[in-house]
Amino acid sequence: MARAADSGAPPGRQWRQSTVLLYLRSLLALAIIWSLIALWVGNHVILPQPTSVAYELFRLIASGEMLVHAAVSLWRLALSYALAALIGIPLGLLMGLWPWASDLLDPVVEILRPISGIAWIPLALFIFGIGNELPIFIITYVALFPFLLNTMAGVRATDRTLVRAARTMGVDQRTIVRHVMIPSALPQILTGARIAGGAAWMSLVAAELIGAPSGLGFAIEWYRQLLMTPKVIAVIVVISLLGYLTDRGLRWLQQRLTPWSTGIGANP
Amino acid sequence: MSTRRWPRYFILPLGLLVLWQLWGMTLPARSRAPVPLDVLASAVDLIASGRLPMALLQSLGRVGLGFLVAGSIALVLGLLMGFFRPVERNLDPIIESFRPVAPIALLPLAILWLGTGTPAAVFIVAYAAFFPMIVNTIAGVKGVERRLVQAAQTLGVPQLTILRTVVLPAALPSIFIGVRLAMGLAWMSIIAAELAVGSKGGGGGSGGVGEMMFVFYAYYIELDSIVVCMIAVGLVALAIDHGLRWLQRWLMPWAEQHR
Repeated sequence: MARAADSGAPPGRQWRQSTVLLYLRSLLALAIIWSLIALWVGNHVILPQPTSVAYELFRLIASGEMLVHAAVSLWRLALSYALAALIGIPLGLLMGLWPWASDLLDPVVEILRPISGIAWIPLALFIFGIGNELPIFIITYVALFPFLLNTMAGVRATDRTLVRAARTMGVDQRTIVRHVMIPSALPQILTGARIAGGAAWMSLVAAELIGAPSGLGFAIEWYRQLLMTPKVIAVIVVISLLGYLTDRGLRWLQQRLTPWSTGIGANP
Repeated sequence: MSTRRWPRYFILPLGLLVLWQLWGMTLPARSRAPVPLDVLASAVDLIASGRLPMALLQSLGRVGLGFLVAGSIALVLGLLMGFFRPVERNLDPIIESFRPVAPIALLPLAILWLGTGTPAAVFIVAYAAFFPMIVNTIAGVKGVERRLVQAAQTLGVPQLTILRTVVLPAALPSIFIGVRLAMGLAWMSIIAAELAVGSKGGGGGSGGVGEMMFVFYAYYIELDSIVVCMIAVGLVALAIDHGLRWLQRWLMPWAEQHR
């Protein structure tokens, strides 16, 4: 590993100034180590040089192939994510607002929750076959629980005093829900949205790897079978970058919409 | 959760089960769709024949091994990174750039490097478990009260002894959150890894409950057995989580129960 940068500057300032530099330096060290190991292994299929991965990444992007795979995956992700939000948030509201609803639904949620989305893949393969439906089903299932549970918890955590104050002033129930409870639950709903985003990415890869004829997850497995390892790693890099950007985007949204919240939520 | 409300809890699960069974009975006799009573029968069969317990044991063993490898590396690295700034500054970029890589995306590489057996599965589990462990260890170490460390330093205790006797115990609750997250993730990824190895490994049987599910899907089309495996996977996940919660209360009765 590279030597530690210890100059005379105060630690706080130095830290901010050189974060990018430090990042690049650590990654450079990693690339050199990788390259040396690759030289030692001496087999392009087992471990290619980082430069050839970079070259293949460039070629995949330039030829537009990566864009096609990424577009398919992102489209599936967006659709299932929206579906999960559309089902999860109203159900969570319902369960948070009315005890009878949560009494009824909670057992089913608690029975299904420990069964990970990935464990559904074989059954879903049989029901849907290989295609779009399988990843969409799996991702929706996985993203549903964080939405539902965090919405429910957020609604339940609404300050009773606020609700009572509104009621005292003669505000009707629907308005209380819309203008008191939902805004108060929003930070936690958004935390749920972030957790759902992370879980969705992970299961997208698994679902596409096993049961889809297209998309990024499919592409890694496809190139593995062709023993084109540089392309496999290039696709993995793109998946990670997109996953990272999705999380950043959701974080940004969270900070924009609820700047006051610190963001701690239920993680199923 | 009063006793009066108890009956309500059972309405929906039981109702759905009955509906499912009734729906199954309307199907033609040759249908392969799973039906609750058949699922029960195949559960009895799978457990009595010892196939399901063995498969679960094999998967759990892989999870345990992968977790042990990842956990010990993450613990040491996390303590060092949380305690010594230069270590953190140099390693953090590397960890942060690998963190978004979904463990399952590495599976093709794992198969390429390690074949379709246990090592590949253990690799995926270890990779998945590593990040929650290290992130929570670092957070735990950074959350240790400065004054405790300073007091020990004033008394002339060597740095590494401080790390072991002051920092580690104080960071333990946070580390344990990492353990719980890591185990949940590890159990999820072992299923994915075994499934994918089963489906992409080209017939090389690798065992484990995930592969068992895939075999039921691909070769026997026994959907009842798949449902049994799904339920078993869910129950093991619950057992792991509750076991760890219990362990946490037992080991660290002073620590607040974190989520």
